[in-house]
Amino acid sequence: MIQLEQIDKTYTSGTVQTPVLKGVSFTINAGEFVAIMGASGTGKSTLMNILGCLDKPTGGHYRLDDTDMVNLDDDALSHVRNGKIGFVFQQFHLLDRATALRNVMLPLIYTDEYPQDARQRAERALAAVGLADRMSYKPSQLSGGQQQRIAIARALVTNPAILLADEPTGNLDSTSGAEVMAIFQRLHRDGRTIIVVTHDRAIAEHANRIIVLKDGTVAEDQPVAHPRDAEAEAIALAEKEVAQ
Amino acid sequence: MRILRIAKESARALAAHKVRTFLMMAGTIVGIAALTVIMAVGKGTEKKVMKRVNAFGTHAIMITAGGGKGMSPPQEGITTLRLEDLEAIRNQVSGIQVLTPGVMKRSAPIKAGASQTQAVVFAVEPEWYDAWDWYIQSGDPISDEDVSTMARTCNLGTSLTRTLFGDTSPIGEYIQIGNTRFLVKGVLEGKGTSPMGTDFDNRVLIPLTTGMRRLLNQDYISYIRVKVKDPKDLTEIGDKVREILHKRHHITPPQEDDFAIVTAADVAKMARGVSRTLTYLLSALAGLSLLVGGIVLMNILLISVGERTKEIGLRRAVGARRRDIFMQFLTESLAVTISGMALGSALGWIAGVILAKVTQIPVVISWQPFALALAFALVVGVFFGVQPARRAAGLRPVEALR
Repeated sequence: MIQLEQIDKTYTSGTVQTPVLKGVSFTINAGEFVAIMGASGTGKSTLMNILGCLDKPTGGHYRLDDTDMVNLDDDALSHVRNGKIGFVFQQFHLLDRATALRNVMLPLIYTDEYPQDARQRAERALAAVGLADRMSYKPSQLSGGQQQRIAIARALVTNPAILLADEPTGNLDSTSGAEVMAIFQRLHRDGRTIIVVTHDRAIAEHANRIIVLKDGTVAEDQPVAHPRDAEAEAIALAEKEVAQ
Repeated sequence: MRILRIAKESARALAAHKVRTFLMMAGTIVGIAALTVIMAVGKGTEKKVMKRVNAFGTHAIMITAGGGKGMSPPQEGITTLRLEDLEAIRNQVSGIQVLTPGVMKRSAPIKAGASQTQAVVFAVEPEWYDAWDWYIQSGDPISDEDVSTMARTCNLGTSLTRTLFGDTSPIGEYIQIGNTRFLVKGVLEGKGTSPMGTDFDNRVLIPLTTGMRRLLNQDYISYIRVKVKDPKDLTEIGDKVREILHKRHHITPPQEDDFAIVTAADVAKMARGVSRTLTYLLSALAGLSLLVGGIVLMNILLISVGERTKEIGLRRAVGARRRDIFMQFLTESLAVTISGMALGSALGWIAGVILAKVTQIPVVISWQPFALALAFALVVGVFFGVQPARRAAGLRPVEALR
């Protein structure tokens, strides 16, 4: 489904050239749950942007469903982002003044054929992340964990092939973080392709495969024999909180 | 439709930031309100001008005995305006259709049987009817024969007829002006009263010669009425007549004239009065408000693009194309100016109504200012919205999300 071949990304600032990605290659199949790991400055955000069609590589090939993304123009990339990719960001990036429901419906505005049941779809997506009773709340009225779950619902509403999450637990406490990872694991069990970018090995170990980036290249690419069970962790953490 | 969904997003953004939206709108509101008032005052003024000019005669020039400015009636006792002046004008000025003298006695005692009243007496020639576009409704007009024979015949105005004869026909009856008996030949059409309240129909017309020799015993006239062929020549003919009279009366400016010339063009100018000044002032205000309002709108939109960088990045991430973002901001700008136009038009309409109530300035409300306002709103909205919209659309999603 995703094929990266010798992806290079070099930032040019004046005469100074900064290579960030140097020949990154890997393949991700449909239905995989992959974590991309690396310390800050190793190019994982850049890789994430390229995978999400937000940015273009300066070299190499990126094939998504057998289409080379490198040659597509801006409109075509927007179309791919809208239809095939769901984003979850560290800072949630919700519209403050819009309700949870409006936030979730946002990607549908930019679809070629607006679904008749847009509202119901958004409601279902919210129900899927356990926020059926928070639809008319504004983000400021909700906790960080709930906000991130809205963002996940927003990413799911167009039914994309890939869910791309950039440090999804970075701004959350450990319980909320575990809950978010539990949602990802559930979505993975339902057959969704999920890519999580993180610097945190404990988070990465919820995935079934870990790709480690170092100095702009793939340093390690290993399956996870026994992924951690986020749901169990969430329950344990919640119990601990109650006990305290 | 995608564009409608995006327009809805714009509307939501505007509704969510009410103060900002109002600030963006303020310039348009004031500008459009001023524009609406200008048009209303302009229309009202033109209506008033047309009414005045029509009453005066669109092709008319009045030369009256006595100096002074404006439309004052002839001064009695000024003896310098004479029939020879009229002949000189007739011989030296072209472009004149009708030229006729008149003698006016402002208040004369009129009697008919037991009834007695005061009326204005005009001694005229048969051209009088054409010169004033004022004809008789029954009976006969003053004829050339009446003039040449110094006949004691007359025409009466409608209200004078009513005063003297009630509802019975006066034709064939006699009236007495001072001590002289006149046969009533005809009755004039009714003209009503002037804006100043003068009753136009309380008058008697008698032959010029009869008036000058039998009744008043004078060899001078009160006025000369000119009707030109083409109203474009009004001012030019007026100037020529003035020149002739200066020469004939031995007047060299700045010496004061012993006559006054008023053309239909002068009447229009007087009727416009302060409205023109007001129109210029308001035009400046409207232009300035729309310009400043547009610049404010653009700046607030630019600031808003800066503040909403993350939102733009997010929209791009979930699939918005560059032109979708462009359209969202352009629609915001247009929605602001069009709403501003609606509010401004309403405000201008109210201001117009109040202006008409508390001042003498005539106001006519019509659809044209609203159409013009809409056009202005669209132009301002697009002109000042394009730049911020382009900046928003040009943001790279990666950088916008950072």
